[in-house]
Amino acid sequence: MKTLHLILVLIFMQQARAQDLGGNAEEGERLYYDFACYSCHGYNATMRVPLVGDASGIMNSEQLFLTYLRLRADQNPVNPKNSMPNYAVSTLSDEQAVDIYAYLRSLNDDPPELADNPVMQEMLDAAKARGKGNEK
Amino acid sequence: MTDAKRNKEKSGEISRRAFLGTSAGAAAASLLGKSEGAAAQTAPPAVRATLPGQSAEAADRDIGNARPPVAVRAVQRPGSDLMVQVLRDLEIEYVAANPAASFEGLQESIINYGDTPNKMPKFISALHEESSVDMAHGYAKAEGRPMAVLLHGTLGLMHSSMAIYQAYQYQTPILLIAGRDDTNFLRSQSANDIAGIVRSITKWDAHPRTLAGALDAIQEGYRQAITPPCGPALVVLDTELQKEEAGDMQVPAYVPPQITGISTGEVRAVAKALVAARNPRIAVGKLRTARGVSDAVELAELVGASTSTRATLVPMSFPQRHPLCGPGSDTDYDYTLGLETGGIQAAIIGPHRRTLEGRDVTGIGYGFIREPPTPLWGPYAPPKPSHNDMHADAEASLPAIIAEVHKIMSSSMSNAVAVRSKQHAAANHEAAVAALKKALEDRRRGWHGSPISLARLYAELWILIKDEDWCLASPTQFSSGHNRVLWDHNKPYSHLGMHGAGGIGYCIGASTGAALAAKHRDRIVINIQCDGDLNMVPGALWTAAHYRLPMLVVMHNNRAWHQELMYAQYMAGVRGRGGDRAHIGTTLRDPFISYAKMGAAYGVESEGPISDPSKLFAALKRGVDTVKQGRPYLIDVLTQPR
Repeated sequence: MKTLHLILVLIFMQQARAQDLGGNAEEGERLYYDFACYSCHGYNATMRVPLVGDASGIMNSEQLFLTYLRLRADQNPVNPKNSMPNYAVSTLSDEQAVDIYAYLRSLNDDPPELADNPVMQEMLDAAKARGKGNEK
Repeated sequence: MTDAKRNKEKSGEISRRAFLGTSAGAAAASLLGKSEGAAAQTAPPAVRATLPGQSAEAADRDIGNARPPVAVRAVQRPGSDLMVQVLRDLEIEYVAANPAASFEGLQESIINYGDTPNKMPKFISALHEESSVDMAHGYAKAEGRPMAVLLHGTLGLMHSSMAIYQAYQYQTPILLIAGRDDTNFLRSQSANDIAGIVRSITKWDAHPRTLAGALDAIQEGYRQAITPPCGPALVVLDTELQKEEAGDMQVPAYVPPQITGISTGEVRAVAKALVAARNPRIAVGKLRTARGVSDAVELAELVGASTSTRATLVPMSFPQRHPLCGPGSDTDYDYTLGLETGGIQAAIIGPHRRTLEGRDVTGIGYGFIREPPTPLWGPYAPPKPSHNDMHADAEASLPAIIAEVHKIMSSSMSNAVAVRSKQHAAANHEAAVAALKKALEDRRRGWHGSPISLARLYAELWILIKDEDWCLASPTQFSSGHNRVLWDHNKPYSHLGMHGAGGIGYCIGASTGAALAAKHRDRIVINIQCDGDLNMVPGALWTAAHYRLPMLVVMHNNRAWHQELMYAQYMAGVRGRGGDRAHIGTTLRDPFISYAKMGAAYGVESEGPISDPSKLFAALKRGVDTVKQGRPYLIDVLTQPR
């Protein structure tokens, strides 16, 4: 079954964005919260399992995104987990899913580089200084 | 506000009208009777009465710094005075309690007995018995020794039972004392066998019937608590024993427990193997006390062993940034010794709580106290005992191993150790810097996002505390545990680890207890506080404010029980319905809770909610500065879920 999933994923990846339907990002924002996507992915899709930008392969196209949502059904055992839930059509329509996709695509994350982040740079400098005298 | 009013409030005077404007005042007004109460509401008094502010002497008495006046007493030497002397001899620093009739004799002795009343032990007011025990849990994790808790009969013990359970699961030593009043108070609050309520989740209990027996039982309870497997021990003290005349009875001398380590033969074998090894390694788990940690460091340095640590997860483990801590310059280890954790060639592992056979008299079968038959995550595989395991306390074994290594190590071996140690130090430093750099790269994401990234919260807080003596008292897995890779855990109390059984409500109490330990040790306590946890027993904030405890509370306010939100979402997905309804019963919305107001209501300087990440650092600095001055501080931060 996993092999079949992989093949399907690759097929959809090839089709990529040529088939994007163009969802409603505003509606997608509402759905992103209503369906608690933020609980794992963060309010800005930047946390834990990030989706913003190029962080996740499933964001490559709408079709891939949709396929991934639907394929979870066979992978989710009944026992409680906090892994990615299944989203069947009965729960989340294609149109709604595409709206969420459009919202996620509208997000942007532009964090400072390590060298431009004074807090992180201070942490790194302190760690380097700690080893003074331990050089080979 | 007028200057006159401002001056009056500053001086501590409260106008009658202002006083009656509070709910407490309203209650007071109701006591005046209808006519007076009505008059107070309808017509302001011609002359404004004032309530005097608290005097400095009264304030001193409140926090226990003033001695009571001496008076003629009916009982010259109450039994509870001797009980307090026993606690004093045991160097019990604090006794936390919510006041109650069943231990009024003992409480009175704590606050009035001796030349230095209410010191060693000092009475700590808690607003809930669960908080009392959680405070003792946090204190013991930080200090490696117990404080005491007073509990009232059946009710107090029931209130505290979850906290006792968690301490038992974590093998944390606590001295519990339950008052029992079977004659003069409500029958419903007493029982024949009060200890039976928590027998399955305590290590030991006693219900002495004489004063002499009570003094012995307190000492034995302490010994039991600190002897591996450590855990909470309970002594039930009848009110009659607390109040009876002790006459010339003497307090027995305390005899500490004999905690045994490995045998002499095993000591020789371990020392010989460590010295002979080309590349020895020591894996360090959770030891009992700071002395154990320093002995582990001494042994590692003596033999030039690279070490692993659990200091990012538990208290009392090997310093994370010690030059020998890390993979070392050569990962082909030819002899690995485990100290309270597995070791490939040898492991010294102290007794588990499962060795306390017969405590689960009701057959409840609490998880992990016995081997669980229905595991949550896949088939349960109990730790496989190795034929190389030595079942004895590792900490008690270390001094003999160190002495033996000293005895057999030649000067040429010492030179090899020096060379090896230098190589390990360089490699470990390089690995640590690389790991930190990667961790920081991974945590850049969402840096400017709002709500605030937890990685940013941990990083900015670290800059402010890294040069302080700090203790991270809160569990951190719900806030993604960024401390594990971003912070340096070099003290026995750097991180106090998890709840014990994942029970929510632990964090604020345990952090308050850790702050009690920190107060006179020039240390500050950091509590990354989950919102769901604080709402269970928020009264511990008042204890922190009342005793001026150095505790920084940084709210991880994600406005939900997020673990459960994810579970509900997952289950809806499995069943293919209602994916937009998982918030029901799992979120804290409508209305949102103001933790800054909650903190202020309990007397803790507070601010927030902060959702703009650019304002976080300044708020954290205000918090750290305040805590360094010996006062608690709360910052409500709107955070990402995880």
